[in-house]
Amino acid sequence: MKRLVALSIILTIPSVAAAQTISQRGFVDATLTTFPEDAPNDTVNAIGDLLIREEVFVKPSPWLQFAAGVDVRANTHSHVDARWRPGINIVDDRDLTRPALSIRRLSATVSRGPFTLDAGKQFIRWGKTDIVTPTDRFAPRDFLNVIDTEFLPVIGVRGGVRLGDDNIDVVWVPVFTPSRIPLLNQRWAVIPAGAPPSIVQAAPQLPTGPQTGIRWNHAGSRVEYALAFFDGFNYLPNLEVLPSSVPGQLVSTSRYPSLRSYGGDVAVPTRWFTLKAEAAYFTSSTPLTDEYVLYVLQLERQTGEWSFVGGYAGDHVTKRQALAPFAPDRGLTRALVGRASYTLDGNRSIAFETAIRWNGDGGYLKADYSQASGGHWRTTVSGALLRGAPGDFIGQYRLNSHLTLALRYSF
Amino acid sequence: MSNKGETTKTRRRRSYTKNSLYRVCFVFFMYFFVSSWFLLFAADNARQIVEEAQKRTDAKSQRYEGLLQVFDAKGKISDKRWSFDRIGSHGGSKAVLRFAAPAEVKGVALLVVNHPDRASDQWMWTPAIERDRRIALQDRSTRFFGTDFSFEDLEERDVNQYDYSLLGDDTVDGVACWKIQSQPKEGKSSQYTQSIVWVRKDNYAFARVENFIKDQAVRRLVYSNIENVQGIWSARQLEMSDLRRGSRTRLTLDKLQYNVPMKDDDFTLQAIRRQ
Repeated sequence: MKRLVALSIILTIPSVAAAQTISQRGFVDATLTTFPEDAPNDTVNAIGDLLIREEVFVKPSPWLQFAAGVDVRANTHSHVDARWRPGINIVDDRDLTRPALSIRRLSATVSRGPFTLDAGKQFIRWGKTDIVTPTDRFAPRDFLNVIDTEFLPVIGVRGGVRLGDDNIDVVWVPVFTPSRIPLLNQRWAVIPAGAPPSIVQAAPQLPTGPQTGIRWNHAGSRVEYALAFFDGFNYLPNLEVLPSSVPGQLVSTSRYPSLRSYGGDVAVPTRWFTLKAEAAYFTSSTPLTDEYVLYVLQLERQTGEWSFVGGYAGDHVTKRQALAPFAPDRGLTRALVGRASYTLDGNRSIAFETAIRWNGDGGYLKADYSQASGGHWRTTVSGALLRGAPGDFIGQYRLNSHLTLALRYSF
Repeated sequence: MSNKGETTKTRRRRSYTKNSLYRVCFVFFMYFFVSSWFLLFAADNARQIVEEAQKRTDAKSQRYEGLLQVFDAKGKISDKRWSFDRIGSHGGSKAVLRFAAPAEVKGVALLVVNHPDRASDQWMWTPAIERDRRIALQDRSTRFFGTDFSFEDLEERDVNQYDYSLLGDDTVDGVACWKIQSQPKEGKSSQYTQSIVWVRKDNYAFARVENFIKDQAVRRLVYSNIENVQGIWSARQLEMSDLRRGSRTRLTLDKLQYNVPMKDDDFTLQAIRRQ
């Protein structure tokens, strides 16, 4: 019997190997960021980054796919933790700094008829608007540089069922992944004037318990809309600053409040542009946590070589309680937000992104020029200008205007 | 007598004038009658030709690997590769196009859902930001990913969405063709006000399409290396020229196959997210 099983396995291996498709993509990215101005807590003016990313997708059968991805990083300004801590950073990626080696994705996708199930470490993106996306609740970000952010994956299960033009997505995330907030001893953490010279950043207090969400999306010919419900934790923390046992020292701890959100988004193509709107109402059972509404109204258009998206992001606090949240999503509200790009030719493009607070207290403008050469290389030169008042979310980073040179080899 | 003579002359003159008028009317009538019938026949004939051309390319599915070579006005070349899967034919088809090269755009995918009675629905999946985006109707005239194909050019045209008229005979690369004008019907949204289509007489394969905005030719698609693949005459090379920019994109179809087993479930938004 064993021989028969072995024989059958041997006989099926070639057919499986022939049927399966393997694809990969990856890059090596070297970036130099220079800050012309010193910040009070950070006088380093040049930061070098290295990122090597490799992702592999294997499809052993038409209904099954595996995805795996790895990031290897190095940084000249302590953004990367090179310690070997498999449980904490390599798999989870939940620490204050970026792991030198981390699993970017590791998931299996099963699709049978209208049903799809993704399980493992993966990216889950909800919502339709750009720059500010209120219903995108399973998409924590790396804010070590607050305006050049990167999405972080989450560990969970996502099930989907397609019913004609409708799709229902159900998500269960048993392990919480927070956004990575700025390091306290660096320029993207702005220490209030008069604060004691010594503030220590404690390890974040991560909540336990699962997060769940459900989203119903309708993709009709004339309109696309979705309703979304989320129950879990905010991936952006409330900051708790308390005296430590060492005299004259404070300890800052990130605590992640519970969060429940009810939201929706809509995209309506009209004759001249696509109108996009997205809004969510956030409540929390955690004491001293704000309850609020975030909303975005945008217009999108591509014409000739230009692509535009722009509009207004707003918020309305229904219950103000939090003392010091780190909330870049709300920090970019009450603002005009926009992005434009122009394709010069098949290899070259320029792009602009901006957020300007309605009251004029703060704003940033990012511009980049990107050029590909050969089939693998791309050079990007970009600059970000930040201006504003010290009390404004964007304005507080007015010393952090920077220039970046990035060289990427894709393979 | 003279009065009689005058009367007869007048009568003859009147009769002559009357006859001439009848003749002119008859000639005009015949002209309009014949030309209307000719136009009607020509229009009908043109439609039949395009219908036949469409019928001859009907297949349950199509698959190929495309090499795109983009030549800008200065002659610089950049290469791209995509894989293309299509299920169904013409107005009822769905297609997924996924980039395989250059490396930095690997995995970018476009889903096109064609409809028999209106413009297609299109979505683009960008793996770098893990998001899909609907390509709105008004954005379909923009270039697709730096090529000279616009998003609309990636639709599969259905014969019922256009009105046709036969402009006459012509030759393309020495091959006899029908020259046909097509105009989008009222319900069909298109950047082009009209197209001139050359259909080969020997095998009903398309030889050339020129697309116009008002009276200006803006894009020209030339079909070449036409081969019989599984009974379907297929161009193995398509070259799209953007006549305003002076650039062109050559698409070479490798590993072209028809009637490959495919599932409808692989042509959905959820499916294009699977890399």
